[in-house]
This record gives sequence, structure tokens and C-alpha cells, in this order.
Amino acid sequence: MNTLLAVLLGAVTVYLTYTRYARAIDRRVIQSDPKKATPATLYMDGVDFMPTNRNILFGYHFKSIAAAGPIVGAIVAATLWGWLPALLWLVLGVAFIGWASDYSAIVLSVRNEGNSLSAVAYRLVTPRTRSLLFVFIFFYLLLLSGAFVGIMASVMEAQPRTHLGIIMLVLMGLLLGQMLYRWHIGLIPATVITVGVSLLAILTGHLTEGIFKSLTETLNSWNGGAPLVTYFDPTLAGFKGAEAKIMPSLLFWAIVISLFCYAGSVLPIWRMAQPVVYVGFWITALAMLLGLAGAAVGTFVKPEVSQFTIPAFAGWNPQLGPGGVMPLWPMLFVTIACGAISGWHALFGSVGTARQIENEADMLPVGAGSMLAEFLLGLLALLAISVGAKGPPVAAFANGLGKFISIWGIPLEYAVSLGFAAFIVIVLVVTQLIFRVMRVTLTEWLGEVFPPLRNQHVASLISIALAILLVLTGTWIYLWQLFGAANQLMAALSLMLVTIWLASVGKNWLYAGLPMVFMYVTTVASILVTAYNLYVNVYQPNRIAGRILPAAGSGLMVLVAILLVVAAIFIGLDGWRAFFKYWRRPASAPTAAPVRS
Amino acid sequence: MSAKGKQGRRSSRRWAALKDFFYGLTGYEFVRHALEMRREAESIFMIVTMGDLLGVPVLPPVYSLRLVPYVVPDIVAWKRRMAIRREFWEKDEYDLHGI
Repeated sequence: MNTLLAVLLGAVTVYLTYTRYARAIDRRVIQSDPKKATPATLYMDGVDFMPTNRNILFGYHFKSIAAAGPIVGAIVAATLWGWLPALLWLVLGVAFIGWASDYSAIVLSVRNEGNSLSAVAYRLVTPRTRSLLFVFIFFYLLLLSGAFVGIMASVMEAQPRTHLGIIMLVLMGLLLGQMLYRWHIGLIPATVITVGVSLLAILTGHLTEGIFKSLTETLNSWNGGAPLVTYFDPTLAGFKGAEAKIMPSLLFWAIVISLFCYAGSVLPIWRMAQPVVYVGFWITALAMLLGLAGAAVGTFVKPEVSQFTIPAFAGWNPQLGPGGVMPLWPMLFVTIACGAISGWHALFGSVGTARQIENEADMLPVGAGSMLAEFLLGLLALLAISVGAKGPPVAAFANGLGKFISIWGIPLEYAVSLGFAAFIVIVLVVTQLIFRVMRVTLTEWLGEVFPPLRNQHVASLISIALAILLVLTGTWIYLWQLFGAANQLMAALSLMLVTIWLASVGKNWLYAGLPMVFMYVTTVASILVTAYNLYVNVYQPNRIAGRILPAAGSGLMVLVAILLVVAAIFIGLDGWRAFFKYWRRPASAPTAAPVRS
Repeated sequence: MSAKGKQGRRSSRRWAALKDFFYGLTGYEFVRHALEMRREAESIFMIVTMGDLLGVPVLPPVYSLRLVPYVVPDIVAWKRRMAIRREFWEKDEYDLHGI
């Protein structure tokens, strides 16, 4: 297998899915009507409800859904099961489920007066769905933040060449916010300066490698070379499990990342969160674009770069830790979430994008088109790790992406630096946003019961402390899989709402209903498997060894898993009842209230 | 129209679409956020000057009346905005790009 074939397969998937399947559903089932008024035109207010050109909205929606998710998922899945299962799930997932979820969430909102998913659920299913969504969203964010901080701290500790670029990225992000919102400098010159300086710092990161390496050594010598915490990590020693050590340098970088995230969480969004994400987006987009083009032409220019080096299939149930199980079904389907299907897209699409749809004919290119474009990002991540050298997953990804980029004449050392940066930058900038959203969610959810949580500093610090506790379990792969499960459950919930709505208006619901059943069953099964793995592989070894923090962290993760299953059961039962009610008597469904009276 | 003219129009349409796409990918979020910030500032101004309409008297009516001609065009939209129940993830903090 080589990269050209995979890129061609991706292109064919996108073409056939869009032109054959998605368009047919849009015409025959949804029957989108360009003459019908959309909420954006009916309730135009110039901000939330604003008719927007489809091409602008496509770019906006794509950027809103595509970043770190599709990259990390593909890396983990290819490492565990090989590239073939990951490739098949990416292709089949996006073709039959992913686009349908994103597109349908937009359709649901547009056809229901611009109401969000929870408002539709409140009307068609049960009022408690909104409360259950709080549970999903908070734990989704907690698990994701834990996974990302864990990945970031270990990569930053091991890769001192990336530090200069990251420091400059943060400084340039702050400068960009000042330039745009205070000094009123145009976006193009501000972008050129800030992205240019960040890129230069990233590419020359290896020049300062020695300085940061000596910093790491100095930090580690403070404790006489002894680790701060020791824990059992089932992902070490080729997934057989071994003792892992948290050195002072890792704690130092975890604290630096936490401080950065804290600032991103409490400062005004224009001051830090938004401009830092923007600069990071350019770095990653540039690397990905060069990488995707390199993967396409690599077969002709540098054939040795485009050959897959990892096994196509690593087994149905690869070993991960001494006792746990990692069966391909259901675990692969939650390990790769974004890129194949994602619940967050539906949530965002139903409020952010749906209210800007100018005309119903735009729902398909914006909703399905963005998801199919994100699939290509996931595919590139998979290709990068498939051609990368052996080693830790992130390093293999960076090496693979660096190889693709080097096809364009950039020296391999610089290209690999860019590959590392593409990964680290996007994970880092998204992590600060996650803490920002966690802080808001925590305040909204529990602020009434526990008033101190209304203080943004208290809510931010609690969110960060919870994430750090999860990091100390040392098993970000399990965290990632639990996050994927929470995400996929949200996707199943969104597809369930679409199915119920289609039944309530007497339309054919199969295109959403069948994927919903698959995602629901798969996701609940995967949570149970992950809870078992956590108990056997992490909680028990650490508890027996008397390690309080890792045992507490993994115990917390098992509790989260149980909570997610309980929430899923409630949602499933409510959805089942609502579906049968409307399926038998479609006219009995209450009509949507206008979002604005 | 000649074939060359048609081709030219088609390519200029594609170029415009690409430009729009890049604008959506880059600058559009800043524009939206600036609009959101302006709306927040306007809402505060409106509640200070026209709070009586919602039962929140802040400014004595004599001063509010002098401002009426300037704020009349925005009153309907402002009252709607105040009345709407927002979901918790519709706040600007939820502009969470890329998950």
C-alpha cells in the first residue's frame, strides 16, 4: 500500500458519498427547497441569525469542526489495530454515518425555527434530555482535557525542540489580539507578522534544543534524579505495561500548560483564546496542506517516503496492559471519532451554523461538505503515522508528516519540526478552549447549588485540578477512548433526535435510524470495555501498590464511565418511547415554537 | 456568449468562491466576535437608557425620552434578545473550534 492509493481512495469516497448518497437523501428524503425561508432570513438580527454565503459558511463550519480530534484518533487506532481497520472505519464511517449526522443536525435546526438540539429534544422527547446533555458535555470536556494535557506534558518533556515555537506562538497570539482589536491593524499584515514569526521559531526550534534540554536536566536533578510519582502504566513496554515515573520536568511542563490554559480560560476571548487559536490554525493548516499534497505526489517523486511501514492489521484484540481487552469492535469505533463521526459537530452545527444558512440548498454543501473535508484531515493523519518510523505514536506521526513535507525540498530536520509543531500547536490551543468551556459548563451546571463555582477563577482551577488528577493515571489512551465514547454518544443522541423528528413528520427515517442504532450499541459496549480495562489495568495495580493518586484518578474514570452508561440508558429509553409514539401517529408531534417570539 | 467568455466567467466564479472559503476559514470569526462584542455593549446601553421597558428603571425617564429617537430602531431587536432563552453552549465561550 502507498499513499497515492490511499489519497485516491479518500477522493473517491468523498465524491461518491456526496454525489450519490448524500445528494439523494437531500433530494428525496429531506426535500430541501431553495425557495423556503430559513431562520436566518426570518429572524435576521445581524449576529446570531445572519444569512451567510455558502462558501463562507463552509470555511467557517469546517474550521469549527476540524483540528486535533481527527489527528489523535487516527494515530491511536493505527497504533493499536494497524492501518487497514482504521482506514476502513474512516471511509465507511464518514460515508454512511458522519456526513448524515452533521448534515441532519443542521437540517433539524433549520426546519425547527432555528431551535438547538436540546430545544428539539425538550419538545419531542423529554425535558430531562437537557440535563443529561450537561452530564455528557461536562465529562466529554473533562476526559478530553485530561487526554490532551497528558499528551502535551509528555511530548513537551521529550521534545525540547518544540519549546521555542510554542513560547513564540503564545506571544504572537497575544500580539495578534492586540493588533486586531486595539491597534486596528488589518488582518492580512497582522497574520503575516504573527504567523511568520511563529513559523520561524518552530523551524529553528532545534537550535535552542540544547538550552531546553539542560533546563530539563536541571529540573530533574532538583530531586536527586528521583521521580516525584511512580505509577503503573499499561501503555508502556510495547503495550505490555511497566512502571512509569513522573519526573519534576514533566510536572513543570504540566504546570506551564495549566497556567497557559488558565489564562486562556479567564481572559477575554479576544485577548488570548481566539488569536492564539488563529495563529495555531495557520501553522497546522500549512503543515497539513503541504503534507497532503506531499502524500499525493510522493509516489512519483520519492517512492521510499510513500510506503506504509506499520502493519496493515495488528489483530482483533491487541494486548494493552497485563489483563485488559481491546477488541476491534467496539473500541475502534470510539477511538476514531472526529474524521468518521462526531457528536460535537452536531451540537455546534445546530446553533452556530444552522442559524446562518441562507437557503436550504446550502445545508448539504455546508454540513456534509465540511464533514467530508474533515475526513481528509483524518486520512492524512493516518497516512502520516502509516509511513512514519517506529516509536511512540506522536513521534511516528511527526516523522511521517515530516517525510511528506520534505518532498517539497524542505530539509527533513526542519520538516519534522514542522510535523511536531502541527500536532502540538493544535492540541495546545484547543486545550485552553476546552478549559474555557469547562469553566462555563461547571458554572451553569452546579453554580446554583454551589455558588463559589460562579467565580470564573474557582471554576477554572477546579477544572484544571480534575484534569491533572486524570493525567496522573498516566493512561491517556483510555482517557481518549472514554472521550470518544462520550462524543459518539452525543452523535447517537443527535441521530436519535433526527430519527424521531423524521418519524414525526412522516418521512423515511432509515438513513439516520440505522446508524443511530449502530453508534448507540457500539458506544455503550465500548464504555463498559474501557471501564473494565481501567479497573483491571490501572486501578488494581496502583491500588495494590498503595499509589493513591493514580488509583484515585483511575477510580474517577471508572465512575465517569458508569455515569455515562446510566445517562445513555435513560436517553435510549426516552428516545425509544418518543419514536414509537410519533412513528404510529406522526401528526401528534407538537409543532416547533419560533426561536424568537 | 463565446466559449472563452463563459470559461472566464466560470473561473472568476470559482476564484470568488475560493476567496469566500478562505474568508470563512480565517477572518469571519473575528468579524462575528466583533459583532458579538458590539451587541453586548449596545445591550448595556439599552438597558441603562430604556430599562423601563423591561421593568428595570436605571435612568430617569426624562433623559431616556431624549434618547428615544436614537434607540427606536433597535428596541424591537433588543427586547427579543433579552427575552430569548439561551442554551448554555450558545455563549461565545462555546466557539470551540476543532473538537
